Amino acid sequence: MSKPASGGNAIVNLGVLVLVVAVLFLLPMMTTPYYVRVATGVAMWAGLALSWNVICGYAGYISFGHVAFFGIGAYTTAILMQPQHDWNFWATLPVAAVIAGAVAALVGWPALRLKGAYFAIATWALAEAVRELATILDFTGGSRGLTTPIHLDDNFFYYTMLATAAIAFAVCYLLLERSRFGFRVKAVRDNEVAARAQGINTTLVKIAAFVLSAMIPAVLGGINAYWITFINPESVLNTIITDQLVVMVLVGGLGHAWGPALGATVLYVFDEQLRVSYGETTAYIIIVGALVMAVVLFLPDGLVSVGRRVRRMRLVRQLLNRARDDVVPRRTDSETEEARR
Amino acid sequence: MTVLAVDDLFRSFGGIRAVDGVSLDIEQAEIVGIIGPNGSGKSTLFNLLTGALKADAGTISLFGRNITRLAPYRIARAGLGRTFQIPALFVNMTVRENLWTAAVQFDWDNARADADAVLERLELTHVAEDLASSLSGGQQRLLEMGRVLMQKPKVALLDEVAAGVHPRLRQIMLDAIRTMRDAGTTFLVIEHDMELAQDICDRIIVMDAGKIVAQGSFEEISHDPHVMEAYLGVSAE
Repeated sequence: MSKPASGGNAIVNLGVLVLVVAVLFLLPMMTTPYYVRVATGVAMWAGLALSWNVICGYAGYISFGHVAFFGIGAYTTAILMQPQHDWNFWATLPVAAVIAGAVAALVGWPALRLKGAYFAIATWALAEAVRELATILDFTGGSRGLTTPIHLDDNFFYYTMLATAAIAFAVCYLLLERSRFGFRVKAVRDNEVAARAQGINTTLVKIAAFVLSAMIPAVLGGINAYWITFINPESVLNTIITDQLVVMVLVGGLGHAWGPALGATVLYVFDEQLRVSYGETTAYIIIVGALVMAVVLFLPDGLVSVGRRVRRMRLVRQLLNRARDDVVPRRTDSETEEARR
Repeated sequence: MTVLAVDDLFRSFGGIRAVDGVSLDIEQAEIVGIIGPNGSGKSTLFNLLTGALKADAGTISLFGRNITRLAPYRIARAGLGRTFQIPALFVNMTVRENLWTAAVQFDWDNARADADAVLERLELTHVAEDLASSLSGGQQRLLEMGRVLMQKPKVALLDEVAAGVHPRLRQIMLDAIRTMRDAGTTFLVIEHDMELAQDICDRIIVMDAGKIVAQGSFEEISHDPHVMEAYLGVSAE
């Protein structure tokens, strides 16, 4: 049995989804390869932000080590596509997802018993450990990194990244907004003691949510490794990746179905445009930082709350007008005429 | 038929014995009140029964099954539901979603219809789409009661469930408890309101300093010298 949940009106959501998918599908036919590459990046970051939203927005656990799963996926694909293994690209993606899911389950079993900052620190430590391993192990290429076969087709990566992000969104939406599992996850987020009293196995639910949130970046990492043709610890296991996707989720709307995709789109496109305008300097970071601060200060629920805020302000204005009318009754036409005289 | 049996239960916090050798048997469809001064061990006993705390010694059986060491979610699935002294709601969910969540491990197929019925019965329909965090204190207790109704437990532990609830809504709550009891549900109720305890409970257990000091009908315990001294703070003489 499916239930309507906090994701808003289902028909509106579906309509927006169809429209967005149609526009994105036709994009390569309407624009230049540069914008196709930007759109590929948007799709990747939207998927990454979505995955972080699963564990933080829905389950209530802050992960500062999500880049570990992105890196595990990238390295899995890159290693399996080396000439000595020569795997097909598509076959590497499920392997990447399974390995990342297994790591999340192994780490989550003890770490998800920790609360708040302790879990965040544990995940941060995981990311650091994975980065160190990738730097010192031979089969990961160490700090020199690995190359993947060159595939010069921007549209291929665009559609692959887009399809992956769309499938990830659909799976998360169905699981978290339309199924029993979603209610269990949100119950754990809101009150773990009460959730247990409702018969919910909270440990299992948290691990399942963490595994789901780990598998998505692993697949995206695998596609990314093939796309950029070269990976090393600095490029796919850099903690700045986690920082960026956290900001994207917060700017878009934490715990909301659409929020992460919206935040990723706005910030990535904005970031790209500033880079084009000001070049490869760090000056643009100031503008991005100011934007993030403005959103956090004035829209604490993220960009998804803009519509609701506008409606609320309209309602407040209406109520104020009504209250003013009650206090100062409107003049009749004759009274107005008399006052004018 | 004994549905809940507690035998020589102990639990200490440091040097304080919060529950000190408690034994009790609760029969099916009985409403048993637990009263006692603050710090007498009532809520600790509830936490031990529901698995939120582990006992230092003693056994707890539900329908003859030893549940002493079971995880709280397994105890809930075995048929023991509860409310909390401070309402423990899913604050970012609506009132309706709180009720659905209560059925997520139980009668999920009928959750929608059951929730509608519970909302109407507890007069919460007008706030069904409001966030649980926006409810008044009394409404929050009603919602906790609603979750118990959704869960349909065999034994329900209610911790001061009617505190702060409007008298009319309290009557609705009490009617719901009686209806559930008539359908076979057993209740263990912590209550400070003596009038309510007298009104609804078949039997009263009095606790003081972690021990059961008296039990019986309301009339019996109200004349018990231990109760007068320990609970009311006056000597029997």
